[in-house]
Amino acid sequence: MKKLDRYGYVFIAPFWIIFLIFSIYPVALTFYYSFTNYSGSGTAEVVGLANYARLLSDSYFVEAFFNTWKIWGINFALQIGLALVLALIFSDMRMKLKGLAFFRSIFYLPNLITISSVALLFGILLDWQHGSLNMILLNIGLISEPINWLNEPATAQLSVSLILTWMWFGHSFIVVMAGVSGISKDYYEAALIDGANRWQTFTKITIPLLKPILLYIMITSLIGGLQLFDLPMLLTDGIGSPDGSLNTMVLYLYNQAFKFNNYGYASAVAYGLFVITLIFSSLVFKGMYGNERKQARKV
Amino acid sequence: MKKFLGIFMTIVLLAGVLSACSGDSKSSGDSKSSKDVDLKIWSFTDELKKPITKFEEKNGVKVELTIVPIADYPTKLKPVLESGVGAPDVFTGEIAFLKQWVDAGYWENLSKDPYNVDEIKDNYVPYVFDLGKDKDGNVRALSWQTTPGGIFYKRSIAKEVLGTDDPTEVGNMLNSMDNVFKVAEKMKEKGYSMFPDEGSIRWFSQGDNPQPWVNDKNELKLTEQKIEFMDYAKKLRENSYTALAAEWSPSWFEAMDKPIKVKENGKEKETEVFSYVLPTWGLHSVLKTNVKESAGDWAVTNGPSPYFWGGTWLGVYEKSENKELAYDFVKMMTQEDEFLTDWAKETGDVLSYLPVTNEIKGDFTDEFLGGQNNYQFFLEQAKEIEPGIVTKYDQQLDTFYGNAVQQYVDGKKSKEEAVKEFYQKAQNAYPDLKVPKK
Repeated sequence: MKKLDRYGYVFIAPFWIIFLIFSIYPVALTFYYSFTNYSGSGTAEVVGLANYARLLSDSYFVEAFFNTWKIWGINFALQIGLALVLALIFSDMRMKLKGLAFFRSIFYLPNLITISSVALLFGILLDWQHGSLNMILLNIGLISEPINWLNEPATAQLSVSLILTWMWFGHSFIVVMAGVSGISKDYYEAALIDGANRWQTFTKITIPLLKPILLYIMITSLIGGLQLFDLPMLLTDGIGSPDGSLNTMVLYLYNQAFKFNNYGYASAVAYGLFVITLIFSSLVFKGMYGNERKQARKV
Repeated sequence: MKKFLGIFMTIVLLAGVLSACSGDSKSSGDSKSSKDVDLKIWSFTDELKKPITKFEEKNGVKVELTIVPIADYPTKLKPVLESGVGAPDVFTGEIAFLKQWVDAGYWENLSKDPYNVDEIKDNYVPYVFDLGKDKDGNVRALSWQTTPGGIFYKRSIAKEVLGTDDPTEVGNMLNSMDNVFKVAEKMKEKGYSMFPDEGSIRWFSQGDNPQPWVNDKNELKLTEQKIEFMDYAKKLRENSYTALAAEWSPSWFEAMDKPIKVKENGKEKETEVFSYVLPTWGLHSVLKTNVKESAGDWAVTNGPSPYFWGGTWLGVYEKSENKELAYDFVKMMTQEDEFLTDWAKETGDVLSYLPVTNEIKGDFTDEFLGGQNNYQFFLEQAKEIEPGIVTKYDQQLDTFYGNAVQQYVDGKKSKEEAVKEFYQKAQNAYPDLKVPKK
């Protein structure tokens, strides 16, 4: 028995070696760099907490923080709402909708397109003078002047939110559906017999039993959302135009490191982002599970 | 038996993992031994493809070219150069990051033995040669081209509106900003747009007083002329002198060949763009590749002031193990009469290597430009170029300033606010800069 234990270590060794080299080492190095003025080449001088002091008073980082939340928030509300409505429709026993697999793949499809193609596609669709969207809106008379979607802070942020929703609601829908199919049919049959309407079944059975799934979607989406980078980077000029409205936290980090060569400060931004993600993830977790745990202990 | 199976499985799994790792490192890392490549070259365009084929044939060697899109180029290349793992033997640099790289010492010092390029200094257009020098005056990179700019216009429109399509005469009508606006007004009366967008005139914002963004004392300088550019851009927008087709956008390209539709103040109009402000490379890699119908109807002339835009330098990687062959390639690209003569005739690229340019400039003609000798024109312009204005901050500061101007032109910010924001952004990106506190 004792001898066999050693094989276990051999089995997990490849993972740990790779994990240490490619994950732990960079994370530790970034931490070290966050206390230096490293510029990407040459030597790094230790500057103490200067980078963190700068981070706390950096209005551009604060702006990036709120931009990220705005863009993610709108996107998440729409995405989860849409996914729930669809799940409600498809799981309704009385409607007995066919073709779930077909719709599932259709809804999921946008998620498979590379982000650069998505950015290019929407760059053309949203073009001010010649974009299809403006053409359609002008032709049906909804607007009289073409809207410069990507040149106004509000519409630019909204555009990114909607594109993200389009890309991700299919994914959420599949996860929600998986959760729904995990709920025992007995509850719904009982509800049907008791004469509950659709809304009651949804709010009293589906939602409470979906809570772990919703929490999962929320936290993964939050972490992904806080790391929002590629779409804002590709849609406009890469530094957050118009008027800094697409400047997200990770885009700011990227620009500080790779465009302005402030690697030290960018490392501090990375750790700032890490702390923010940690705080909000635990808040979400607490918010959804905190009360239940207290109650459980009382019982 | 069970035990044996366990060991066997472990070995198989480990072998799989290890071979996957080593396979990876081979393809991204040192491929010299595995693929018999003699020379590795990195660049951000495909323009080196043909020269490389010629070089391979001539020397009987194998060259591997890696092309990285310009947006990722510095980000991808820098770690490789820093660590030396999987680094190329020769790599090109665009003017936007040239200054950083020559000073970082990534390129071999070409001023010392056995290269001694300073001896052939007089063979180059002076500004091109000077830009490849580091802060101690050592040459680190060379270039085969020179990139002064001009205004490319359509002859047919010039004839209709201005009464002449002769480049010299048209050039005289565009020799100052005031005159440019006079021509723009005439264009507008006949339904044409002077430029595709407001950004077109940014190169003339330096005027006759070209200054670097950042001076020796590390101070950020926003000259009067650069601030004036804001007013010029605004004037272009307010008087509807442009086709509102932003640079590099689909409509920008479309407008080169045919009239485009523009919507303004609720009205839709169709307009044809008269001219594009582009440098030498704009002719063969932008205009020629996008224009079909109007080929031959173009000509190039001067704007209000001389300027240059872009340019590709190349040099030998400092830690290359194959410097001799690497320099042979650089030499072919920048100093070989036969190759460069063919290159110029094939691509229309304006060379910086004077022995060849002097040879061919006399009877050079370009069909696309209606038989105009653009070579002579650009070489004249190149003489006026001031190399001292290039700094390592240019690319970012140009972007910031372009944004500020856009905000002002769109009417979202006042001039003072736009300038103030430019200063703030510059300070945030480069904390070491001395920025005027306003």
